[in-house]
Amino acid sequence: MGTHKLLEVSNLSVEFETYGGVVKAVRGVDFSVDAGEVLAIVGESGCGKSVTVQSIMGIIPMPPGKITGGSAKLKGEEILGLQAQAANQFRGKEIGMIFQDPMTSLNPTMTIGAQIAETLKVHRGLSTQQASEIASELLIRTRIPEAQKRLNQYPFEFSGGMLQRAMIAQSLACSPSLLIADEPTTALDVTIQAQILDLLKELQSRDGMAIILITHDLAVVARTAQNVCVMYAGQIVEQGSVDDIFYKSAHPYTLGLKLAMPSNVSQQNKKLEPIPGSPPDLFSPPSGCGYAARCPHAMRICHKENPPLFSDPREPLHAARCWLQAPGAPKTQGLYQPNLIASHGA
Amino acid sequence: MIETKNLKKHFHVGRNQTLHAVDGISLSIAENEILGLVGESGSGKSTFGKTLIGLHERTAGDVFFKGSPLPQKYTAKDHLRYSADIQMIFQDPYASLNPRMTVLDIIGEGLALKGIPRADIQDEVGFWLRRVGLHPDHMSRFPHEFSGGQRQRIGIARAMIIKPKFVVCDEPISALDVSVQAQVVNLLEDLKDSLGLTLLFIAHDLSMVRYISDRMAVMYLGTLVESGPSDAVFFEPKHPYTRLLIQSNPEADPVLERTRPSAELTGEITSPINMGPGCRFADRCPEVMPQCQSVTPESRLIASDHQVACHLYDER
Amino acid sequence: MIPHPALQADDFTPELSTDSLEQLSRPSLSYWQDAWIRLKKNTRAIISLYLIIGLALFTILGPFLWTKDPSAQDLDQISQAPALPKTALLVSDYLPWTPPVDQGHPAEPTGYPDTLDAVTGFAIVGTPNTQSIRLTWSPVQDAGGYSIYRSESEPSGLQGLGLPLETIDAGNILGFEDRLNLKSQTYFYSIIPTDGLDEFDVVTTLKVTPVQSITMSQALERGLIDPSDAPGRSVSLAFHPFGTDYLGRDMLARLMQGARVSLFIGVVAPFIYVLFGVFYGGFAGYLGGKIDQFLMRFADFVVALPFLLFMILFKIGFGIGPGESGILPMLVALILLLWPSTARLVRGQVLKIREQGYIEAARLLGGRPSYLIARHIIPNTMGVILVTLTFAVPSAIFTEAFLSFIGMGVAPPTPSWGSMCNEGVKTMLSHPHELFFPALFISITVLAFNLLGDGLTEALDSKMRSRE
Repeated sequence: MGTHKLLEVSNLSVEFETYGGVVKAVRGVDFSVDAGEVLAIVGESGCGKSVTVQSIMGIIPMPPGKITGGSAKLKGEEILGLQAQAANQFRGKEIGMIFQDPMTSLNPTMTIGAQIAETLKVHRGLSTQQASEIASELLIRTRIPEAQKRLNQYPFEFSGGMLQRAMIAQSLACSPSLLIADEPTTALDVTIQAQILDLLKELQSRDGMAIILITHDLAVVARTAQNVCVMYAGQIVEQGSVDDIFYKSAHPYTLGLKLAMPSNVSQQNKKLEPIPGSPPDLFSPPSGCGYAARCPHAMRICHKENPPLFSDPREPLHAARCWLQAPGAPKTQGLYQPNLIASHGA
Repeated sequence: MIETKNLKKHFHVGRNQTLHAVDGISLSIAENEILGLVGESGSGKSTFGKTLIGLHERTAGDVFFKGSPLPQKYTAKDHLRYSADIQMIFQDPYASLNPRMTVLDIIGEGLALKGIPRADIQDEVGFWLRRVGLHPDHMSRFPHEFSGGQRQRIGIARAMIIKPKFVVCDEPISALDVSVQAQVVNLLEDLKDSLGLTLLFIAHDLSMVRYISDRMAVMYLGTLVESGPSDAVFFEPKHPYTRLLIQSNPEADPVLERTRPSAELTGEITSPINMGPGCRFADRCPEVMPQCQSVTPESRLIASDHQVACHLYDER
Repeated sequence: MIPHPALQADDFTPELSTDSLEQLSRPSLSYWQDAWIRLKKNTRAIISLYLIIGLALFTILGPFLWTKDPSAQDLDQISQAPALPKTALLVSDYLPWTPPVDQGHPAEPTGYPDTLDAVTGFAIVGTPNTQSIRLTWSPVQDAGGYSIYRSESEPSGLQGLGLPLETIDAGNILGFEDRLNLKSQTYFYSIIPTDGLDEFDVVTTLKVTPVQSITMSQALERGLIDPSDAPGRSVSLAFHPFGTDYLGRDMLARLMQGARVSLFIGVVAPFIYVLFGVFYGGFAGYLGGKIDQFLMRFADFVVALPFLLFMILFKIGFGIGPGESGILPMLVALILLLWPSTARLVRGQVLKIREQGYIEAARLLGGRPSYLIARHIIPNTMGVILVTLTFAVPSAIFTEAFLSFIGMGVAPPTPSWGSMCNEGVKTMLSHPHELFFPALFISITVLAFNLLGDGLTEALDSKMRSRE
């Protein structure tokens, strides 16, 4: 393995020109994915998680969208902002993508077999015969029963869960090293969701495929991810391993999300604590911390300046964008503050 | 307060095809209680809720409200008569408010239909806007200016302003963000306590249902498979389908998730078309027995207030 | 650690946000206000809107400002191209003129001359005008007569002399008065001496441009002069800014009257049939089931009926003979045959809206079907209805124009733009203005409505963007 990470994104910024003004959807996002790793990007609607991966894949229409900065390197090579021809080199081949609603992502007038075969023919130059065979294998690999028969069926004959598997099968066609799954189970029932998540994990462990999983559901993150990025208002507010995020939450937003969800671990029923208000208007993002307006621990500095990512040198992979992580900040209940502990020698 | 006996709702789709959306549900909801109703797509839970309050015409069965029977097919007059007793909160906050009406008109519609004068309506609407956490000045605005959570709260105000006794909440939080869901759930709980409401809470998020409900009922393909106190059904599920549901339900706790066995499920949820006798879950059940295919299991009481419809619990 | 500005102790003092968390950022806009803002940005649509408003003013107020009678015939200015006001010479009513006779000259030649000299002194008497042109000349030695020709283009030698006007068979008659269909244009008169029988090969040509004239009695009749006025002065003739047609009727007045007819049909018919379609489609869509099926199949049947055939049938049915005006049958045919497309459109919208939650909510609150349709469904279909209407109008105008053009619609003397085009086609090559103006008006109207309809579709169909 080389020194390059599989995917390295630095300082990515994306804007949209709308009829109401310019929306700064993504504001300086950095993260990386190792080979075989499962990274979850979690956040609520409007936080910019989908826009981030879509701009890496180059599927955002460039007017009205605009990448205003940053880079994305796949195995050391820059892939951000590539157009058609160049983008097709890696799109589908090195990086596969599956979307939330498989019904609209698959062509309703082509059989499933034909669509999977198309990917194979285009990217790997196979003949129709060879492509069909491989398509059949892929359907079996994603555990679709009666794979041979299913090859000749149309999307409307599939159920939601099976369609999502078919889409996964299609994205696996060229054995990509990275699969981006944009809210793949949001529209599915909970039992089917469990099956799909297990399938993704199986693909990761068996084939060594890295996965970026976009979701708004923290429970899905807990079930599937190894590392997590929490996004809010176009920025990453906390990142780290899944255990860090859940047991050592270092950002008030992460804390807030946990407190707003019912937990079944203990049988007692703690009252849910909602986060008041709604995410900020990204037409003119606040000059301070984007979460300050809703944060119960907001301080004067929070309204003035946007905090940088802080991390404890002993755990460099766990970082949070919060002034409460700066040395000298007050102790806040429930929040993991390593710098505080370090400086207070607790 | 509410009781259904063998409630059925069938739809005719295509030639000679009948969709058995709700197929013989009998349950009861006590006063000031929250009953949670869970199920996946095709379970018929939404249809049940709508049939219960008369938005769909019943195909068979009875519904009783405080002991007296409710009509099988509602006319507008029936709805008007019962609007102060029974109300509903709808699922999609973007489609459940008329985009051309102001918030004042939307919330006050129920009162207007009852003939209450406009000035009084305005006062009431102002009060209720504050009660659900919005500003009274917002009454002159239009739905599209509000966020999803705010719209859902407007929908709640619309239902509550006529002071019903029983409210069916049809997936009120499914379309909302996590942080906003808690706002709406807390509001519902608060209103239930202060107004003494009885709620039927229909949702597919098991954790949320367990949190808010006193009792929980599980539906599969139009039939009731299990019902009982929420914690009992959640932590000690008796029906194989309930067990599957609980197992598949992800927890926001990585350590727990790692140590959990993965769901051993096969197959897909079918559609409740042309159902014959026999247990609906038979073709996917890991503990299926020969009689499951042919004999429909009846609902049995296995503990006080905990019912299951499964041949595993048949008396021998 | 990432370097950051040094923090002071007081930076850490708690300061919760004071902004209300439930505030709304943008000012309140109703659906129509938002649509209007969007429409205003569409230049084409706004120009079209102004054009339509202009047309409406033209039609409604025009006849009050331009009071010429559309059926009055100005015989002095038939098929006149658009021009500035013309003047005419006031002349006394016609009195016959005796051409001068030279008694000192023989009427017949004494012998048969071999050659004759060309005529000299060929000149005009008095002011040549459209009432009469009087010519005189000097006698030619040995001539027994003269032949007078008139052409509208200059003759070359003996070719192209034009119309033979008169053969004078006496050598001493030295004058001629031309009253044949005189117009205010250039004529070339040629005179050839004869020996009483044959013409000789010499010709003299004179160019004459008569001025438009008007007799005293005609002018008095038309109110152009006082009785006290005397001939000799110029009077202004009626001004026809758009010219006149082949019968001398003022084009502008006819266009205005035609506008009333065309726009009446073009606006009233769509309004009625769209209204009907809205109720029909709304009813069918709301009720659904078998009634819906039946109603829609009937609508399909109506679509299948041939339009022209039914127009003719209606015309016969109404007992209107050829040459009479067919406004009413046309109106009835349009209404009875064109409503299905609106009905279908509205039904589709109603079906879509019926599924929305707010309909069920209103039902649950006790709304009767009529209340639901009026209060909830129709307001949300307004956008579609408005757009349909905006496209139905030009379609009806054009249909009316077409029908009148082929003679199945309004007939003369009632003008409509279509029938005016029909008349104009006949003189298209010589007097193009008679076709050009009504066609222009039809085109502009149809284009303006279509562009407005396009603009409205865009403005109204955009989904309201919420914060998400």
